[in-house]
Amino acid sequence: MDKKYGVYICEGCGIGEALDIEALKGVPEEEGLPVKTHPFLCSKEGVEFLKSDIAEGTNTLVLAACSRRVNYDVFRFDGCIVDRVNLREQVVWSHPRSEFPKLEEDQKDDGVHFDRVQMLAQDYVKMGMARVEKVDLPEAYQMETFSRKILVIGGGMSGMTAALDAAATGYEVTIVEKQDQLGGHATQWRKQLPASDPYDALSTPRVQETISAVEASDKITVRTGTMVARLAGEPGNYTVTLKTPGQKIPFDVPYPLPDEMKVDESGKELDAESLHKAFLEYNEGKEDILQFDPDGDKFGAVVLAAGWQPYRPKAGEFAHLGFGESPDVVTNDQFEEIAKAGKIVRPSDGKEAKSVVFVQSPGVDGDDSDFAYAGAVTSLVALKQAKYVREDYDDGKAFVIYQHMRTPELQENFYKNIQQDPGIFLTKGEVVSVSKNGGGLIVEASDTLLGETLGITADMVVLGTGMVPATVEDPVVNMAYRQGPAFRDIGLFDGYVDSNFICFPYETQRTGIYAAGAVRRSMTVEESIEDASGAALKAIQCLESVNRGMSVHPRSGDLTYPDFFFQRCTQCKRCTEECPFGALDDDEKGTPKPNPSRCRRCGTCMGACPERIIGFADYNIDSIGSMVKNIGVPSEDDYEEPPMRVLGLICENDAYPAIDIAGLNRLSYSADVRFIPVRCLGSVNVIWIKDALSVGMDGVFLMGCKHGDDYQCHFVKGSELAEIRVKKIGDALASLALENERVAQFQVAIDEYDKIPQIINEFVEMIEELGPNPFKGF
Amino acid sequence: MSVKHMVEPDVGFINEVASLGGGDLKKCFQCATCSVACAISPDTKPFPRKEMIAASWGLKDRLVADADIWLCHNCGDCTTRCPRGAKPAEVLAAIRAYAVNEYSTPKGLAKAVANPKMLPVLLAVPAAIFIGLGLILKMFGIDWLNFAPHGDVIWQSHFINNYLVDIIMVPTFFAAIGIFGLGLKRFVMDIHANAVAEGKTDKTEFEPMEFVKAIGRVVPKIIKHQQFDQCTENRARSTAHMMVLFSFIGLFIVTNCFFVAEWILHIEGPYSQLSPVKWLGNISGVALIIGGFLLLKNRLAKTDRGSSYWDWYLIGLVLGLGLTGMATQMARLGGLAGPTYVIYFVHLLLIWALFAYTPFSKLGHLVYRTVAMTYNEYSGRK
Repeated sequence: MDKKYGVYICEGCGIGEALDIEALKGVPEEEGLPVKTHPFLCSKEGVEFLKSDIAEGTNTLVLAACSRRVNYDVFRFDGCIVDRVNLREQVVWSHPRSEFPKLEEDQKDDGVHFDRVQMLAQDYVKMGMARVEKVDLPEAYQMETFSRKILVIGGGMSGMTAALDAAATGYEVTIVEKQDQLGGHATQWRKQLPASDPYDALSTPRVQETISAVEASDKITVRTGTMVARLAGEPGNYTVTLKTPGQKIPFDVPYPLPDEMKVDESGKELDAESLHKAFLEYNEGKEDILQFDPDGDKFGAVVLAAGWQPYRPKAGEFAHLGFGESPDVVTNDQFEEIAKAGKIVRPSDGKEAKSVVFVQSPGVDGDDSDFAYAGAVTSLVALKQAKYVREDYDDGKAFVIYQHMRTPELQENFYKNIQQDPGIFLTKGEVVSVSKNGGGLIVEASDTLLGETLGITADMVVLGTGMVPATVEDPVVNMAYRQGPAFRDIGLFDGYVDSNFICFPYETQRTGIYAAGAVRRSMTVEESIEDASGAALKAIQCLESVNRGMSVHPRSGDLTYPDFFFQRCTQCKRCTEECPFGALDDDEKGTPKPNPSRCRRCGTCMGACPERIIGFADYNIDSIGSMVKNIGVPSEDDYEEPPMRVLGLICENDAYPAIDIAGLNRLSYSADVRFIPVRCLGSVNVIWIKDALSVGMDGVFLMGCKHGDDYQCHFVKGSELAEIRVKKIGDALASLALENERVAQFQVAIDEYDKIPQIINEFVEMIEELGPNPFKGF
Repeated sequence: MSVKHMVEPDVGFINEVASLGGGDLKKCFQCATCSVACAISPDTKPFPRKEMIAASWGLKDRLVADADIWLCHNCGDCTTRCPRGAKPAEVLAAIRAYAVNEYSTPKGLAKAVANPKMLPVLLAVPAAIFIGLGLILKMFGIDWLNFAPHGDVIWQSHFINNYLVDIIMVPTFFAAIGIFGLGLKRFVMDIHANAVAEGKTDKTEFEPMEFVKAIGRVVPKIIKHQQFDQCTENRARSTAHMMVLFSFIGLFIVTNCFFVAEWILHIEGPYSQLSPVKWLGNISGVALIIGGFLLLKNRLAKTDRGSSYWDWYLIGLVLGLGLTGMATQMARLGGLAGPTYVIYFVHLLLIWALFAYTPFSKLGHLVYRTVAMTYNEYSGRK
């Protein structure tokens, strides 16, 4: 594209008053670029003003006005490259003239005084100009073949609902169910938790209606007694091999080599080709992941609704609760089976069980945690099963001893209703022991609401054990991905498959595969039904994005994708290994094979690549590097005491908005820092840091999302990877006789805008104490 | 945790408390707002939070022996603030009604008092006693009952002789005291055992003398209505209750004076309206009526509070006593012979009911609450 540049400076929102607009215009004028000002650029007249220039051929616009986070729809011009220079939030609003005064006439050009805010604005305009020179308009990735069919793994309530919803919107769906019939666990229950308004009473299970609806749908194909052997390819173009459980076939998914097999006898890492050989040996009888099954079925997106398995206590695990000691101590799942079969009777002797104690927390060593994989659903199930006792026996008594009673949303009505039953007794408390007492049991509970240690005689005791997601034991989806057939275990989710439960529900760590139901968390059948609709919609969103080459989420609609300059690839595999979404598969030589529709466009590969051969049309090593190099770094040649220059590489997801909000709230901070937004800290390539320090900048910081247990990184691992890389750069700095402290990383949440000034100012003060970069001025 | 208490919930008790007006007890989710809202609940083991869970667990024995149900003055601050609508004040009132039955002899009479269908029977009892005893005495030539009184002076004694009244009322009064006495020892021992078990007191040995001394400290509190005055929701009730209490005391004094006049000094009525005793009687009578109406008005105004027949019985009795007493006097002074005698007869039935049914009715709180407050004072609980 032939670029025709235009720089436009808005004078509204206080920009005109705070800055010397003539001097600002000098920046593009010096480069020979046309520059215009407007008093109110986002007004109707302002936009018309831009459009008339666009009509005359301008296609590369630098808009020096407000933040890119506002008016993005106003300043979107098809076919044009637009850069938004943030003069409002990050220059004039956050650097008031009361604090950063303008220069007096006699102070100008005296070699002593300088106007920090004007310098800041001029640098930003220059950086914007540098960027647009280096970026291109993206061209969408086009797939050769595209399937609109949705694969639903699991034929329980979640899977069937997802299939029905997707079918209702016109998509072809195939349900794959391991068992020989549809329905899953829901067919094994006596009653279902409240399913309709006012949500206060048990209902008959509705699974049969759903099964009938699925069977009646002409858009849904049901494959019972079937499982996924392997799922290869990418969203929009998956090749899926199905098989009967237990079968061994060449298209069973291969597993990655364990770490100990990746090295030779001396402990040295094998080269790419030996690795691949070892991998094939390790997976003998199975085809490599890049070998697609010619007879495979084609799908575009996957809903994973593989459900759960009841928790099976290990031998002796709950001995203090009598489990394994007395046959009358059972799990809630076993109790349901008894209740489904008829009146509730003791497994030991078949006598009527009229006094049943429901234990919701194992209570070992004062720990008040519920059973593993429990949740609101186990609380609700205890209430449901307590009601069974009352249904079966007029003089029946049911006791629920809990540490947590969770009955969210309208299920509160159910709790209230159960509570009203005169034969159901609830208390918070710790169950200390269950012991045999003649033919029955005695349950001892301490710290109860009754203020003492209670002894309750019981015929049966029911443990509120949890729902273990199917993905704990088995990858289920069996992805033929280089990172492995299962979802990557980041050690936070106990085998649940969500990528971020709160921020990105349904989105697993694999684009195109959306989780619904108990694979996401323990949930009731009602919640699963709602969940299934969500996952079905995500699958549809995926299909309707990848067909146009767009990123699905969280950068929805992004047309860029990583482009590799393979001639210079050294097959180091860092990009394949570090991609949080397993988007890359390397071949037998170790060369990465991109799967653009699996990609989320975070740029983690770009940050990882030591050869710097990965980039996006509008975001690459050169575009950011040029911005860095265009920051003015004043030295002692310019001023007696030149100001420091600090680079801030800012994650655009949360940190950049936080800085904008700080400006919106007129919080001020050092004017010696230059921000560059990045897609994710994971995309930060250390070369930019080196560039900054080599042009004489005094410090660099990265600001992005929190990582760790409560991580907020939109790309799961980006900010964590950045921290590792920043630590590694410390050694390189030391070899240049630069202090480690000159490079730092900060974590902020989007609502922590009030902390921004302190973080920035403290860093700048620290840099000032270290003194200027010794390379300044070279 | 040392001792393990075996619990065996009594579902019948829960249903009984529900039928006595505590029907919302199971709604409690143990937030303890009630105990915080209550101005008179002690800091040590405060009520009514613990009573609410014990009630929803059907722990009958624990609750009837719990003095705290009597410390409650039923102002309703807890009910107003209960986020769950469990009505702790009503639940405690229902448990009190249940406890009254537990400690009374014969058992079951309290149930009859709490049952509106039994009211005609309960009132027929004194009618039968008066007429029956009058007729029996007639057979022995003692003519204390005259169905056609005549003469210039209208005087109720001409209809039912005061001696007949007294030989029925006085034993009834002492019988009521006797019935209280039968239950009271057990009551005190039970509330003591409960207080020790629940850690409300550190006095493990019960000391009767110390307990008696505590009465002296509690009675002024009762007279001054100090507990009532701490209520926020239902403060007006304090005045009404005070009027009723003092008028009962006044009328009790008047009755005793005229008893002495009749039996010892042999001065026959009607007595002069100028007599100071008569003044006291009239003032007390008026106060009883006003107090009764105020109680009625307060209950009717509190639409968010539950009132059961148990409550209406006592208000009805108070108002009935005041109104029939005053009406008898007015009819007599107005020279209306027929109404005088009819109303007087009703008045007598009510007085007998007052005496005879007190140990079985809500009025039993006169004794139980006083004892419970005394015990609490004695126990040194903070």
